[in-house]
Amino acid sequence: MKTNLSGILTLLLAFVVHISFAQEKTISGMVSDQSGLPLPGVNIVVVGTTNGTQTDFDGNYTIKASEGQTLLFTYIGQKEMRKKVGAGNSINVQMEDDAQALDEVVVTAVGITRSEKGLGYNVQTVEAEAISVKPNADLVNSLSGATSGVQIVSASGEAGASTFITIRGSSSITGNNQPLFIVNGQPIDTGGGDSGTGGVNTSNRTIDINPDDIASLSVLKGGAATALYGVRAANGAIIITTKSGKNLTERRIEFHTSIGVDVVSHLPARQKKYAQGSNGNWIGGSAASWGPEISSLEYDGDTSYKWDPYGQLVPKGTGNGTPAQYYDPYDFFQNGYQLNNRFSISNGTEQGDYYFSMSNLEQTGIIPNNTYGRTTIRLNGSTKISDKITFGANMAYTNSRAVQIQKGSNVSGIMLGLLRTATTFDNSAGYEFADGTQRNYRNGGGYDNPYWTANNIAYEEDVNRFTGNINLNVQFTDELSLVYNTGIDWYNTKYTDQFKIGSRGNPSGYLGEYMNFNSVFNSDLLLTYRKDISDKFNMSATIGNNFFSDYSKYLFGDATGLEIPDFYQLNNSSSNTTSTATSNYRTSAVFADLQFSYDDMIFLGFTGRNDWATTMPQQNKSAFYPSASLGFVFSEIGDLKSDFFSFGKLRASAARTANIAPAYSTSNYYEAADGGDGWTGDDAGISYRFPYQGQTAFFVDDDLGNADLKHETQDTWEVGADLRFFKSRLGIDFTYFNNTNTDLLMAVPIAATSGFNSVFLNAASMESKGVEISVNATPIRTENFTWDFVVNYTQFKNPVTALADGVDNIFLGGFTTPQVRAVVGEEYRSIFGEDWYRDANGNVLINDDPTDSYRDGYPMTNTAQGLVPIGNFNPDWTANMTNTITYKNLSLSFLIDVKKGGVMYNGTAFAMNYFGVSERTVNREVYYNTDGSINFDTTPAENLVVMDGVYGHIDANGEVVSSGVSNVTPVVQDQAWFEGQGSNFGGGPSSAAMEPADWVRLRDLTFAYNLPEIGDVIKGGQIYFSGRNLWIDTPYSGIDPETNLGGATNAQGMDYFNSPGTRSYTLGLKLTF
Amino acid sequence: MKKNRNITYKGLVLILSVFVLTISCEKWNDSDINIDPDKPADVSMSLILPGVQQSMGFNLVGNNTVRTNNIWMQIFEGVDRQSYTEGRYQITAADTGNSFEPMYTEMMMNLGIIIDKANDEGVESPHFEGVAEVLMATTLGIGTDLFGDMPYTEAFKGGELIFSPAYDTQESLYGTINTLLDQAVSNLNSATNVIDVEGDVIYDGDIDLWKKAAYSIKARHAIQLSAKNGNAAYTAALAAVSNGFTSNDDDMLVPWEAANGNPIYQFMEERTDIRMGAYLIDLLLATDDPRLPFYAEEDGDGNYSGSALRGQDANASYPGPNIAAIDASTKLMTYSELKFIEAEARLVLGQAGAQEAYEAAVAASVLRVTGDANTAWLDANINGDPVTMEKLMTQKYIDGAATNQPYADYRRTGFPNLTLASDAVISEIPVRFPYPQSELDYNTQNVPSVTLLTKLWWDQ
Repeated sequence: MKTNLSGILTLLLAFVVHISFAQEKTISGMVSDQSGLPLPGVNIVVVGTTNGTQTDFDGNYTIKASEGQTLLFTYIGQKEMRKKVGAGNSINVQMEDDAQALDEVVVTAVGITRSEKGLGYNVQTVEAEAISVKPNADLVNSLSGATSGVQIVSASGEAGASTFITIRGSSSITGNNQPLFIVNGQPIDTGGGDSGTGGVNTSNRTIDINPDDIASLSVLKGGAATALYGVRAANGAIIITTKSGKNLTERRIEFHTSIGVDVVSHLPARQKKYAQGSNGNWIGGSAASWGPEISSLEYDGDTSYKWDPYGQLVPKGTGNGTPAQYYDPYDFFQNGYQLNNRFSISNGTEQGDYYFSMSNLEQTGIIPNNTYGRTTIRLNGSTKISDKITFGANMAYTNSRAVQIQKGSNVSGIMLGLLRTATTFDNSAGYEFADGTQRNYRNGGGYDNPYWTANNIAYEEDVNRFTGNINLNVQFTDELSLVYNTGIDWYNTKYTDQFKIGSRGNPSGYLGEYMNFNSVFNSDLLLTYRKDISDKFNMSATIGNNFFSDYSKYLFGDATGLEIPDFYQLNNSSSNTTSTATSNYRTSAVFADLQFSYDDMIFLGFTGRNDWATTMPQQNKSAFYPSASLGFVFSEIGDLKSDFFSFGKLRASAARTANIAPAYSTSNYYEAADGGDGWTGDDAGISYRFPYQGQTAFFVDDDLGNADLKHETQDTWEVGADLRFFKSRLGIDFTYFNNTNTDLLMAVPIAATSGFNSVFLNAASMESKGVEISVNATPIRTENFTWDFVVNYTQFKNPVTALADGVDNIFLGGFTTPQVRAVVGEEYRSIFGEDWYRDANGNVLINDDPTDSYRDGYPMTNTAQGLVPIGNFNPDWTANMTNTITYKNLSLSFLIDVKKGGVMYNGTAFAMNYFGVSERTVNREVYYNTDGSINFDTTPAENLVVMDGVYGHIDANGEVVSSGVSNVTPVVQDQAWFEGQGSNFGGGPSSAAMEPADWVRLRDLTFAYNLPEIGDVIKGGQIYFSGRNLWIDTPYSGIDPETNLGGATNAQGMDYFNSPGTRSYTLGLKLTF
Repeated sequence: MKKNRNITYKGLVLILSVFVLTISCEKWNDSDINIDPDKPADVSMSLILPGVQQSMGFNLVGNNTVRTNNIWMQIFEGVDRQSYTEGRYQITAADTGNSFEPMYTEMMMNLGIIIDKANDEGVESPHFEGVAEVLMATTLGIGTDLFGDMPYTEAFKGGELIFSPAYDTQESLYGTINTLLDQAVSNLNSATNVIDVEGDVIYDGDIDLWKKAAYSIKARHAIQLSAKNGNAAYTAALAAVSNGFTSNDDDMLVPWEAANGNPIYQFMEERTDIRMGAYLIDLLLATDDPRLPFYAEEDGDGNYSGSALRGQDANASYPGPNIAAIDASTKLMTYSELKFIEAEARLVLGQAGAQEAYEAAVAASVLRVTGDANTAWLDANINGDPVTMEKLMTQKYIDGAATNQPYADYRRTGFPNLTLASDAVISEIPVRFPYPQSELDYNTQNVPSVTLLTKLWWDQ
């Protein structure tokens, strides 16, 4: 070691001596592009030194160098130029367009870098800069609309809420459908965020990454791209490389600060005309707002009535003259703020490089007390210990902390209590009485006052995470090299879940304490041999192995019935439960990658990987996954290339990838006895549990294991074309992909009468077929003005093609009705629910039988036929367009995102109907004649509606009898209707609550001013404004339809009192020193 | 240059050692890693029994069975949301999963395991087997009286890859119930027994009480066949009664506690959608029945009132402490029910003792519910008042609040004479529960096609 050090010192000394003897002078000049226009921002370095600069906005530069040294000029999209310093002091350079202008190097599976030109499959890269200025804590949100083939749904606009990402649809019925995330070669855990129908929205763990640390991000979409990941490849992969000091020639300090405001975007419209009550009478504490007109009421000033500071409501003229009024419950929402500071310092030399960064984000939500915070530290470094050997390490520490508020179908859910609140009740006039009991619009019953929920119920999560890897790179010869990369991803999640005594869901108070430890270990060893067999024929071969393990364990304890109020400690209760669970599995693999290229024209690649997984039974532990890909750059043929046609490539690839069973699914166990009745219980729906009567107990696990499982298989192929025109200023990329997933592993639900609720089987098949089209263009490029745009279009079908024998459908999530299912022949995650009675032509039946129990002139819910498909959240197609317009130092970039097709269950509106608070319940006034018919003279005409359908009824045998004649009977949608089949609680069919969830939205807009060099200190920077969801056009009548009740889960398309989305405005400043 | 080569060699050694790791792949992929450390592969019978009993207490006589059919019986009245719509007899396959499925996955599946374990060679434990058989018969009995035909012969055999078990007719299930109870008595009488009954939260391992329970359950299902078997049903019931419960102390009750609250208590805490029904409360008010303050809370006006049928009267009385206190036991079988069975059998058969049994039944009921004998009230209202079928069934109805028996008796005898809800979606009060969606979905080929008006076998 000592010898090495002295050796390095000697070398350094020799270097210094060498420099001090050289004759240094100042070189200046101008750099222009192929057409002679000045080119700003060209990097210039003196080769072999740390000396470097950039051209200014007029293309001019100055640099100190000595005669005989070489200047290297580099600029994206241009061929690099080398100029030797001669006797003169001026060097002007004209750069040449690189014929393979977009020939970027992309990082592909297991860290193998390739030129994009040769790829036989579609890989898209996302510009790191664009991710860094978007105001999203979770980088996944910033990928929305950035590429084709990727679908992203955020759960809600809450601070720290989860996002759900899939690539090219879904490949698993009940398993994970989200892509593999690789950071610097290390697979990281991105789980979490699946929150069920109640509880809170939790983050998924992609939020732990500081977006500013990202240097490049590539999206591997198809099987051939990911095949080298074997059993983890089926859902695509997001490959992230973080920043380093490589390629820097001097120390670089960057500071980035931003401040943002979030405001609530869409909210459901409410009626403001009628007061709390029923049948036109005011009733304090009533669940509903079917009372008299607000304008006909005033307060009685009765101070003994504790539920309202002004007393009870009485008819005008009989009280104290203080008129009744409508209270807007939406005043509850506040502005959310985010303050984000990021700092980094980096440098690189011949001997090595480093990148060090720190960041801190503090965010408050639109719901009071909802917060998210993140602190990150990263150190990336590498050192060259010889010409041939480089060592490197990347380490990151993250602390993520969130306070989340109850949501969804949950008596403590914010929106549930808020939206149902009666029109004449003021939630904000106090949520807690002096004695600690609750003030809410149900006079203490029903649902929590949203202020109570926000202030007295808290879910506080804290995650500490360390991710790190070390790598060794040995270049034995020009042809033979070795890479060893091993690392860990460790994190600890802890949360406390506190309900104050008096909370409706936990009247006696509740505390949950959770701790878990997650560990991912990965090791990749690659040995690569590259050989230029001839001038034209090149090959490279890689063999490698992989070891991987994934371990998690949690400890959970809770206490119901707190003895000392407001004291949250497990001991503060006589009713405690504890539980633990573990998941542990390992895989190992050997793999090989073989690439041939001929004349920069034909690129042929093969990969193969064999995996062994502990979760599979002994006889099926091993499985082999091959892929082949071909890239044919036909523009290399003859004289095809011209000023018009710059580049053309055809691609084709095929691969087999897979997925393995979750841990412990090969055998059967006993589990702690507990259960629920679907009505009562804790957050998990557990109503009865052990210990009980001083005993403990176990049931046989109702999920039956299976010792005959085999790997599930995904066979994919894709073809595509990459065409570029006008000197690559217009590019069109087209891909058709076809994924077939078979032997999908899942817990297949079986009849409970078998004694089990599910059995683990290789049961299902599904496919995903579609097209992705990307167009990028630079319609205008002048000296001062550039306009670029990128359009991505995605369309695919993702049907379930087979399920296990005897299984018609798989429940993915939701309610008893509606629910999200996988059903053979239907698009994956179809929504099933009850529907109206319809005739053979699909017309809704409008009852015409005055003798039956249904009201005439109204449709009827068909409960007899059970649940039928009523829609799907998956879009018909999505498209997005990013425009970037640059004028001198100013740039404007905006992303328009279109989702066409797909419906969502607006259970929020359906339930609001029942309570008489939705806007559509306002036309309720109706008068009847003595014979029970509507009095058309006195009933306001605007209240009369004719329901769409044909006359008919249900006969005594339950058969549909249709007249075929269109309904013309006017009726009023009154309290009886909305408490009946006009709402979910009254037995209305879920199909009536399905609404189109299309949208066109201005998802992102960034306006930036690039700072010039200021003095000697500030080398550059940027001031920007960034907005998110500034404009949305949607037919959906509820909140922003980019939402999901269950968060990051396969069951998408559910809105039941979901927390609303947000619009954001952010102002940022970046400075480089 | 030499130094560099040195380093290269070190690198090579490292590489070699990594390759060595590859060789120990088998160890890395050790199958033992796939054994769940947090779940036992086997447990003893005493660790299964209390889970079954708790589930029976919560599900067989809890929210999804009792709440629904007691709304139909106008013991409760649904005033809001789903409970309100159930009051117009709106109940579908989507609503009955939580009452049907636990009988199989939680109760009978695990009872079957106990029975198997009790027969393990060397540790034969007929007492444990007998207890499991009584509980199996109790579950199957309450289950079939709600659902009719149910899988049994082929049921609980998922482990043998029978995922779609055939349905046994209710007639054969009644045979099974009797067989199970006969076997139970014989097993409980066994002189040899290796493992004592432990973990028993109902009788704390008292074998004599389990024998009485076996006979009492037998009596319940014997008399349930009165329409089918006529006098033979009453004779069989009487035979069983003579070996059944002899006091309230023998009642087959499942206890509740702070950490595991009574199911109706939990429902009222979280959902609050039912009130006491006017029909029952008016009956109690008519005689100033001492059970009233135990069956009902005071209403919003400080009185006792039931919500009128379809009245949606949220101001009416909540269920009282006997039904809905956090620690109110749920009742699988009671002495009072047995005495009502005896009284009915004697009355119909014209045997002596009907009046005495009737008076004893009401006395037992009043004592159990109120904790006091209330002799004066009994003397004024029950004792000496000649028993009739209607009086008997009305008192049995009052006694059976918050159990499934009023609904079973209503279908069997037509008492009490209830009014159909004004907004009923069918023409009569349902005569059964519909099969759950899980059976329609996953056992399609076997599940019988029924409507809410398809009568059970003993009702035909």
